[in-house]
Amino acid sequence: MSFAITLRSVTLKYGAEDALADVDLELEAGKIYGLLGRNGAGKTSLLSLVAAFRRPTTGEVLIGGEPVWENAPVVSRVALIREGGDFDDTETVKAIIESGTIRPSFDADYAFKLAERFELPLKKRVSALSRGKRSVLAAVCGLAARAELTMFDEVHLGMDAPTRDAFYKELLAEYMERPHTIVLSTHLIDEVANYLEEVVIVDRGRILRHADIEAFQGMGATLTGPADAVDALGLAALAEQRLGGTKSITVAEPLDAATRERAAAGGVEIGPVGLQDLFIHLTDPNRNGA
Amino acid sequence: MPALANLGLSTRRYALGLGFALEGLKYFKYWVAAALVLSFAVPLIVSQYTDITLSAWFYTANAGKWFTAFVGGGFVYTLVPTMVAAGLTRRELAVSMGVFGLLWSLLLGAIAFAGILGERAYYGALGWSQGLDAGDVIAPIGTLGDTAAFAAHYPLLYLVYFLAGTVIGIASYRWEASGWLLLVPIIPVVFSLDNGLYRTEPVGPGWAGFLGLFMDDWARWFIVAAIVVVAAGLAAAAYRILIDVPLRSKQA
Repeated sequence: MSFAITLRSVTLKYGAEDALADVDLELEAGKIYGLLGRNGAGKTSLLSLVAAFRRPTTGEVLIGGEPVWENAPVVSRVALIREGGDFDDTETVKAIIESGTIRPSFDADYAFKLAERFELPLKKRVSALSRGKRSVLAAVCGLAARAELTMFDEVHLGMDAPTRDAFYKELLAEYMERPHTIVLSTHLIDEVANYLEEVVIVDRGRILRHADIEAFQGMGATLTGPADAVDALGLAALAEQRLGGTKSITVAEPLDAATRERAAAGGVEIGPVGLQDLFIHLTDPNRNGA
Repeated sequence: MPALANLGLSTRRYALGLGFALEGLKYFKYWVAAALVLSFAVPLIVSQYTDITLSAWFYTANAGKWFTAFVGGGFVYTLVPTMVAAGLTRRELAVSMGVFGLLWSLLLGAIAFAGILGERAYYGALGWSQGLDAGDVIAPIGTLGDTAAFAAHYPLLYLVYFLAGTVIGIASYRWEASGWLLLVPIIPVVFSLDNGLYRTEPVGPGWAGFLGLFMDDWARWFIVAAIVVVAAGLAAAAYRILIDVPLRSKQA
């Protein structure tokens, strides 16, 4: 079993300021979602509401069709892992892992296995851990929670590249073995793009786009070929790279048949748009109609 | 946490309350041991120079009230983010804290009770007087029955101090800059009731218990009843502040 997420007309205010404004969102159960947004866009606020870390100012948040707020059978199966984890820093790593057993589904054996694999020092106090190891501890607790809905909010910050790679692989392996709902909130977009099934972009407290990854990739294209031939297409480039006589541009519009033919005739190859480039374009504050 | 077995959803709030009390006692066992040793050793040293007429344990037990308030406040301040993030509801945490507070007060109260009776026997064996500094005079606590009756209030007093600390702790978490200001109304009330009950100043800023001076003539049962009412009020206030507390954002 895994949890679907429903937000209906959700607004969250911090004082007079809207962190989220009238958000409606429906995420099906059993998928891996990417939650993208610029700093301060409202990603963490949204996740905080889904995990009942906060209560919305107005609107309702349903998890698995039930209100999440103060609902023990639901919140015990929802895990939001924030950057650095929510730990008592005076405790040891071992004690932190053991305290996970508050959740009926927590798998302590798996947690200790992961701790060994990621070389977590069990006897060390959390306060003595490096930022990277602290992130690993948070990730380990999130994975071992065996929750029906697991959300990682920038949890990989501080991890080095090999550790991040190992974390993503473990996350995927766990997902394949036990399908559940996963939400990854991250700024390292290209790094996680291959794992995502759907993407939600939050911008200025609103849901800007929600679509599956293929739909996002179809929103634009990457064209690579001789610089002259690429320029001759006359497309508005979001991003461009040049190496010698070869040029690569990213465009944020679907290509019509005529453009595709001209591109092919000029020896220009067409590929899917990079999620990160598209994200940058979609959240550009100077862009109209975002 | 006491055990590695996963907690059951329906009973975890009680198990956690018990776990907090046991962990707290385990964590502070050397403090308790040091207090015991000091309370019995210091009078022995002082007796080399002067007569012993004051109960040392009375001061130790009084310091225990502060300690208990810090435990209540410190635990709730730390537990709110960690427990909610671990999938506990605030209502469950409130119940756990309630169980913890009751058990902690009973445990510490039992230690205080045993200590004062033990001190009575100790002082008696050495020919010392077990008294209290009641303003201008040093008043002996009295017979064995008087001493037991005197010490029997400790669990209730520890509970009210625990709850006072808990309210200030959760308010400090919720209102980062100003929550601690709840000290201002809470301390005079709790100190004054303590002052009125024992007719002696509590350890700490005794002036804060100035209202107790007006309670000296009140019947003891009436003050006990007032302490129960204040404890209930503090428990209700802690629950109210806790039940919809938002978790703080993480600092980058």
